[in-house]
Amino acid sequence: MKTGRIIGLAFSGLAKQKMRTFLMMLGIVIGVATLTVIISLTKGAQHKVMKGIKNFGTNAVMASAGGGRMFGPPDGSTTTLTMADAEAIKASIKGIKHIAPFTMHVAQTVVAGSKNTEAAVFGVTPEFADAWQWYAEKGDFISAEDVSGLSKNCVLGQTVVRELFGDQDPIGETVRLNNTSFTVVGVLTKRGASPHGMDMDNRVVVPLSTAMRRLFNTTAIGMIRLYVDDPDRLDEVTTSVSAILRERHHITPPQEDDFRVTNSMAMAGTIKGVSKTLTTFLLLLASISLVVGGLVIANIMLISVNERKKEIGIRRAFGAKARDIRQQFLGEALIVTLCGGIGGTILGIAISLAIAGIKKMPAVLSWEPFVLAIVFSAAVGIVAGLQPARKAAGLDPVAAIKG
Amino acid sequence: MIELRNITKTYNKDGGAEVKVLQGINLAIGQGEFVSIMAPSGMGKSTMMNIIGCLDQPTGGEYFLDGIEVAGMNDDDLSRIRNKKIGFVFQSFNLLPRTTALENVELPLIYSPDDLDIKAKAKSALEAVGLGDRVGHQPSELSGGQQQRVAIARALVNDPALILADEPTGNLDSASSNEVMAIFKKLHQDGRTVILVTHEPEVAAQADRIIRMKDGQVVSDERRAN
Repeated sequence: MKTGRIIGLAFSGLAKQKMRTFLMMLGIVIGVATLTVIISLTKGAQHKVMKGIKNFGTNAVMASAGGGRMFGPPDGSTTTLTMADAEAIKASIKGIKHIAPFTMHVAQTVVAGSKNTEAAVFGVTPEFADAWQWYAEKGDFISAEDVSGLSKNCVLGQTVVRELFGDQDPIGETVRLNNTSFTVVGVLTKRGASPHGMDMDNRVVVPLSTAMRRLFNTTAIGMIRLYVDDPDRLDEVTTSVSAILRERHHITPPQEDDFRVTNSMAMAGTIKGVSKTLTTFLLLLASISLVVGGLVIANIMLISVNERKKEIGIRRAFGAKARDIRQQFLGEALIVTLCGGIGGTILGIAISLAIAGIKKMPAVLSWEPFVLAIVFSAAVGIVAGLQPARKAAGLDPVAAIKG
Repeated sequence: MIELRNITKTYNKDGGAEVKVLQGINLAIGQGEFVSIMAPSGMGKSTMMNIIGCLDQPTGGEYFLDGIEVAGMNDDDLSRIRNKKIGFVFQSFNLLPRTTALENVELPLIYSPDDLDIKAKAKSALEAVGLGDRVGHQPSELSGGQQQRVAIARALVNDPALILADEPTGNLDSASSNEVMAIFKKLHQDGRTVILVTHEPEVAAQADRIIRMKDGQVVSDERRAN
């Protein structure tokens, strides 16, 4: 009861100095808002990456032609991976459910009637669908006959359909690639963005043989996609694939690999590692602003105690114990930081949503920033308020009442 | 009610020199008395008031308030005694600025350990000093006399046995002084112990008993029949 009354005093004390209270709160509001924005946007970015990795396929291992630390798909000029490599992998590694060698050429012009667009052209075998768990929504996928007969059939991703045909049914229509006409036999289901942020639906899928011989005149394949039956064996399979390819390509350390093998877990790890470093750095910055906010509060509170000596003396004369005075001033500091914390969280959420809206970045709102804000604010309030409150409580009543 | 036995108070000045402000005060004040303590400025009057009011501790001697030995008590116990038994009235009113009359009067009740209807008690204390229509006014909106009456309401609100007033009319014009003195007389008639510290003979003369101090000692103790 009495504590409640003293908390009431803390509130009315702050209400009497609105400008000062606002300034004390500002540092905490800014710090907590920054913290909230960072957490929301980081979580949003992680969410996006995880979605991309899910689109890539959680059971997938992929070998790409070309070495180095290059991130992303190889271009068509790299010729280090062959069908024979794919056959060797298929023959010697256990636990592979599906294996699909394929070629990929980005930024190819696709023409339909008077319209054209740029899309990636994939040369695939029928296994591609199973290896990616990605099938035709309408019509058919590329068949074994298409591959053996070098047919000029193609399957379109939904972005290409929208660009070239709008709402019209593309099945049976003709598209031109590299001056070769293809008949559309199917449309793929919508897939979304890859872990690298590429639109996976912006593609034209043709038979592998047709792509190699008719379109791009190559004997090399770009990538080999493996679908592993047990996700726990991802790393094992990844290592085995590397070993086989090194042996077949006669690579011995310290020679650099002329291929890259990756899997969904490794991709997630790399991306998470980068974002973790950045997030830690940003959180550190936000924490510094909270510490500065706390220093400002401690400073203003000390000035306030000096200015309010007479008030403290009067309260003491009418029976306030040292503890009551301490509680009052500590209460003021805590109210400032907690209100600042709550205000900062709300502001942070608003800013996160605004950034998400303007930058088309996802923001994930969660309870963590809120709990963090309350805990941080309370801690800052106690630390910043303790010294001023102690000073106020320790004043000699006789001296204090003289002002 | 109050018994001071050989009370001394010594301050150490910055240079290290000792200043003996009170030099062995012996004094007994009974329940319900109306007493003036008179002394020239700087003659230990304020120190005396602070010690009787339990704001300050004597250097030596014994002080019994309501039969309890106060000298040597810790800060919490002294605070509790100030809250329950003593009501201060100051020369400069000492109201909290930017705070309504009602909130000013509530102040002692906030520190009471009891569950009270604070608003109602504070309001009736203001009504008792004739300011029932000024509850929402801030000190800056009240005259000096009204401010001092708010201060008296604050001193009264927790129903203390002892009202301790330090030059309560020192900052007031004569009309307001008379109003304030009338309230003290009324409190005395209601059976409260009232101690007035003053250097004005006209004010002191309104009490039943006048104690004169000089150089930290009681020099005369005069009872009057009013």
